[in-house]
Amino acid sequence: MPSNERTKQPKILILATLAGGYAGADSTGQVHADYPANTYILPVMCPAMFPPEFFVRAFERGIDGIIIMYSGTDSPYKVEADGTADLVNRTYALMKTRCIDIRRLRLAAICTVCVKPFLKEVNQMADLLKGIGFVKDEIAAPASALA
Amino acid sequence: MENLQVDALVVGGGIAGMQAALDLADQGFKVVLVEREPSIGGKMITLSKVFPTLDCCSCITTPKMSSVAHHPNIQLLTYCELQSVTEAAEGFRVGVMQKPRYVDASKCTGCRNCEYECPITVPSPFDRGLGAYRAIRVPFSTAVPQAAVLDMENCILCGKCEKICAANAVDFTQQPETFDIHAATLIMASGFELTPLNAKKEYGGGALRNVIDPLMMERFLAPTGPYGRVLRPGDGKEPTSIAYVQCAGSRDTTLGVEYCSRVCCMYAIKQAMLISGALPLAEITIYYMDIRTFGKGYEQFYQNAQAMGVEFVRGKVASIREDAEQNPVVKVELTEESRTVERTHDLVVLSLGMLPATGSNEILGLPLGTDKFIAVPAPNASPCATAQPGVFVAGTAMGPMDIVDSIVTASAAAAAASAYIREHQKEAVYA
Amino acid sequence: MPENSVPENNPASAGEEIRVGVYTCHCGGNISHVVQCEQVAKLLGKLPDVVVTRTDPSFCSDTGQAIIEQDIKELGINRVVIGACAPSLHEQTFRGAVTRAGLNPYLYQHVGIREQDSWVHSSDHEGATEKAVRLMAAGVAKARLLTPLAPIRLSAEKQALVIGGGVAGLRSALDIARQGIRVTLVEKSPFLGGRMGQLESVFPLDEDPRQLLHDLIQELAAHPGITVLTQAEVTAVFGYVGNFNVQVTQHARGINDDIAEALMAACTQETTDEFNYGLTRRKVIYRPYPGCYPATPAVDWEHYNGEPIHVNGESIVLKDELQTYELTAGAVVLATGFNPYEPHQGEYGYSEIPQVITLPQLIRHLALLKDGDELTWNSSPVRDIALIHCVGSRELDGVHEPQADGQVNNYCSRVCCTASLHMAVELRQRFPKLNLYELYQDIRTYGRGHEEIYRHAQSSMVRFLRYHGDERPEVIAAPDGDTHPVLVRVKDYLTYGEEMEVPVDLVALAVGMMPRQVDDLVNMFKVARGADRFLLEAHPKLRPVEMAVRGIVLAGTAQGPMNLQESLSAASAAAAKVAALLGQGWVELPPFVAHVNLTKCNGAGACVKACREDGAITLQTFIEDGHEVQRAVVTPANCTGCGACVGACPNRAIDVQAWTLAQYEAMVDAIAMEYPAFVEIYR
Repeated sequence: MPSNERTKQPKILILATLAGGYAGADSTGQVHADYPANTYILPVMCPAMFPPEFFVRAFERGIDGIIIMYSGTDSPYKVEADGTADLVNRTYALMKTRCIDIRRLRLAAICTVCVKPFLKEVNQMADLLKGIGFVKDEIAAPASALA
Repeated sequence: MENLQVDALVVGGGIAGMQAALDLADQGFKVVLVEREPSIGGKMITLSKVFPTLDCCSCITTPKMSSVAHHPNIQLLTYCELQSVTEAAEGFRVGVMQKPRYVDASKCTGCRNCEYECPITVPSPFDRGLGAYRAIRVPFSTAVPQAAVLDMENCILCGKCEKICAANAVDFTQQPETFDIHAATLIMASGFELTPLNAKKEYGGGALRNVIDPLMMERFLAPTGPYGRVLRPGDGKEPTSIAYVQCAGSRDTTLGVEYCSRVCCMYAIKQAMLISGALPLAEITIYYMDIRTFGKGYEQFYQNAQAMGVEFVRGKVASIREDAEQNPVVKVELTEESRTVERTHDLVVLSLGMLPATGSNEILGLPLGTDKFIAVPAPNASPCATAQPGVFVAGTAMGPMDIVDSIVTASAAAAAASAYIREHQKEAVYA
Repeated sequence: MPENSVPENNPASAGEEIRVGVYTCHCGGNISHVVQCEQVAKLLGKLPDVVVTRTDPSFCSDTGQAIIEQDIKELGINRVVIGACAPSLHEQTFRGAVTRAGLNPYLYQHVGIREQDSWVHSSDHEGATEKAVRLMAAGVAKARLLTPLAPIRLSAEKQALVIGGGVAGLRSALDIARQGIRVTLVEKSPFLGGRMGQLESVFPLDEDPRQLLHDLIQELAAHPGITVLTQAEVTAVFGYVGNFNVQVTQHARGINDDIAEALMAACTQETTDEFNYGLTRRKVIYRPYPGCYPATPAVDWEHYNGEPIHVNGESIVLKDELQTYELTAGAVVLATGFNPYEPHQGEYGYSEIPQVITLPQLIRHLALLKDGDELTWNSSPVRDIALIHCVGSRELDGVHEPQADGQVNNYCSRVCCTASLHMAVELRQRFPKLNLYELYQDIRTYGRGHEEIYRHAQSSMVRFLRYHGDERPEVIAAPDGDTHPVLVRVKDYLTYGEEMEVPVDLVALAVGMMPRQVDDLVNMFKVARGADRFLLEAHPKLRPVEMAVRGIVLAGTAQGPMNLQESLSAASAAAAKVAALLGQGWVELPPFVAHVNLTKCNGAGACVKACREDGAITLQTFIEDGHEVQRAVVTPANCTGCGACVGACPNRAIDVQAWTLAQYEAMVDAIAMEYPAFVEIYR
């Protein structure tokens, strides 16, 4: 049964492509590497299917950090890379208008055997969220974010 | 049982036989798979995790077992022995005996009530004798088919199982049944047997309680195993020092086994890694002459084990004795240091090798190699063809190999068999 | 075109009662040792529409599947959520179970709670359990919005393409054709046979490799179902499993049979002979060896300088002409083979000391000697020779010099030990007085009949020296006036770590295998490579010769080091997969393709611009209220389901079936569930 502290931890959503990040997360599991449990991985065909509004909505609902894990620019999926980078830039612009710290959204190239990069990304985001806190506090108090 | 007419008969329901049957069936051929045990799954289903991915073994095997059971083109015959094979106009006529299960498999629901009722406990070969099951039982939890089998040798005919069975499936009057199968082609996937634990007397296997075989260790490590943890069979103590003796049964002319069994290095390293996970304080030593981690991803696996602290000692183990506390004492010639030492461990695993399975091979009378496995006369032209046209071989029936290689040779045997069927049948099997 | 061919993908149709079954698998302890599965099951039971929630030691087993099937039949479960291992392992297994019970297979949602939960949070059981609850709650949220779908059935060409004319490609092509499937084999070089033709004797039976090749090629050439294109390459690929449209570009042979021999004789321009690994030179009109296939000599277009060749008083200038073919193939076999590892300059003295060569070069050198010749190198007699194992194999990070891509080859190349020992045995037989040294780490004669070769070498006066992987031997030029040109220094652990200095006349490096450069094919077919740079199978045991991209299979050393017998087996296995795939004449694809809600589409065309696949979305004219309007229409067979159109649409009128935006939003809400709401379901 989870304790109070536990369920009050920030939540990290990871949108991981089946060919890239999702397989990389599975590889990380196969070597039984340990990382924080407040990470929720959803498989996606390609991150470019999400409009910027989708991410902002997720932050507003209480997701504190989002990592998009795709195969990256070195991969055979070059189009995926172009579209995704563009999407992230458009999302950053929208996040700024809502006073959401843009560091809460990260794009990471994770291939099927990228165990170490996977762990690095997840741990970095977890550390960041420890520092900058919950997204709800940020959205609730845009003035303090500006101060 | 009516006589059957099929495109292919596969002998053996281990991983190689299952894969060969599935590949033929997926191409539309009618296949019958004959297994002498009450369930398919072979040796693989008894393993804990598999190298080098450390996937749960059961997770790879059970879906294949399930696919075999559900495939519309496969007829599964378990608990059946080959009796005779003769050449016939259409290919081969194979005499098969259905051994009595004393349970009507078509009625049995696998509820296991008979098992809970049975008063007789016998050591379970599935658990290498480490655990026990009843005289009537479903062979193991993920068995296919899920049907009980009664072993008459240990049964006291108390009748409790018959009374409890709601499906009226228990039948003490069953007799062996024989029937013929006509098949255009045969695939031998008769597998291997582990070198007997007591094959090399100097190592004390069978006599010393804390010297075990690697399949016993698999059962200790398997989540489905009898104890769910690693312990010494001698006294149940948790071992803190475990040693592996490599080539215990392979590359040894005194045993008449000159060949390398190919899998022992990798399974020893794999078990060492799994033990490290289960018993983080345990010290693990592997005594070896050559480490043979040659497969895809295997060398990296070996390097990982070294990094994890598994101790690799190059040395020839001369003998193993027991001290007063039942601890095995290994006498080893350290070939890199020119001295012989004695080292005491809590538990020793003999990395035993592979010997050909007996039974079906003899009935076919196929020529064997000097290693006693089924001969492949032209390995570099037809890698799965035996000396008998129309008979192909898959997996460890043609010599030691690991699971990946067994699966690949099984698919290759299926390709060779299907080409043979097409070229020797007047009419196409499918348009 | 077929706007009616796919069902509407709206949330569950009105009136249908959603009945969700939730199944949390122990995975034989793999999950339940960390995640409190019973708790997870209990809590999920409190979510709306969840009718039944169960756990089992192993839902993938026959008994486990039977439980789910029974619930569908007896409890009327119409949405199934399973928390288990990675979907890559068992999603198909459970789809099968659901289908057997009469439920549409796409009303099932798989949640991975092993690789992405229990295996990575073993130090945090509580966190792992909460994660399982939230992930599976997300699975339930998505399942409630799933709608029945039908797979897309495509006609499949009974035609396969094999890329690579080495022994693996040849074997695959023949085995596929024997199943009644037509095959086109494309080979980059002018001749078939690949690396095998460069060998002189193959272990363990010492057969003549070119005779074996000849027999195989004769059978292939006689087969009516096989077309061979040499000097040809795949230059473009479109399409998908069942219907790959492949463009092949082929060079001209350039010479006619009737004057080919005369032209070859008259040709004076020479270049390095790669058949002999650069030991000799050959003409630019050539044939690698007598008995090669095709027998007609070829022009080496890359090196031919365009000068006229004088034959029978005529001056002939040869002209290359590229020809392009369009092929359709239902499946593709990648049999692109290997290159021997090329040591970098100075590695064991290679390309600095003239007496250091590779084992493949030594094989060719011996082939060029006449019977009875003494062994010489650069006209000097060879009295002592050292063979060094593991060159370009079993390398260690931080110890060995990385290659251009920054990586070291940390894999074993499988064949080099037996090949070296086989060479030692041959050398002993041909040159009884030669002193032979084998420098090795571990002898890996694992194959059938290979240990015998090791024993043979051991009883053939071969001196073995064993080094440690982090203390590799050193090869240096001997000082002037020494008895031998080269010194090999090694710390030998067969003599308890003694520092040895072995004077030799020749060093042969047993080089490992590297994959051929196939960047173009990797990009065109969008296939994956492993950390070792070889092509990567989908799973080593579940799908060992198939790639993750459907319809593309692997044969031979393109996948990793193998010996000849292993390559042949892999090639036949690949053929079995192709035969199973194409045998029926159609292929089924999952229905995860874009679908337009015509009532929301306003014909702006943003989706068409965003789409990355040719012809997957087009604007078509419809009549609406007596007016012509433009609306987007999807061609499912061309759609890969990437969803680029979804993000682009301003009206949320387009979605990928079973991967809809609404489903993702529902999943996010379940994951983000507020603390009070979460406690609510815990109560």
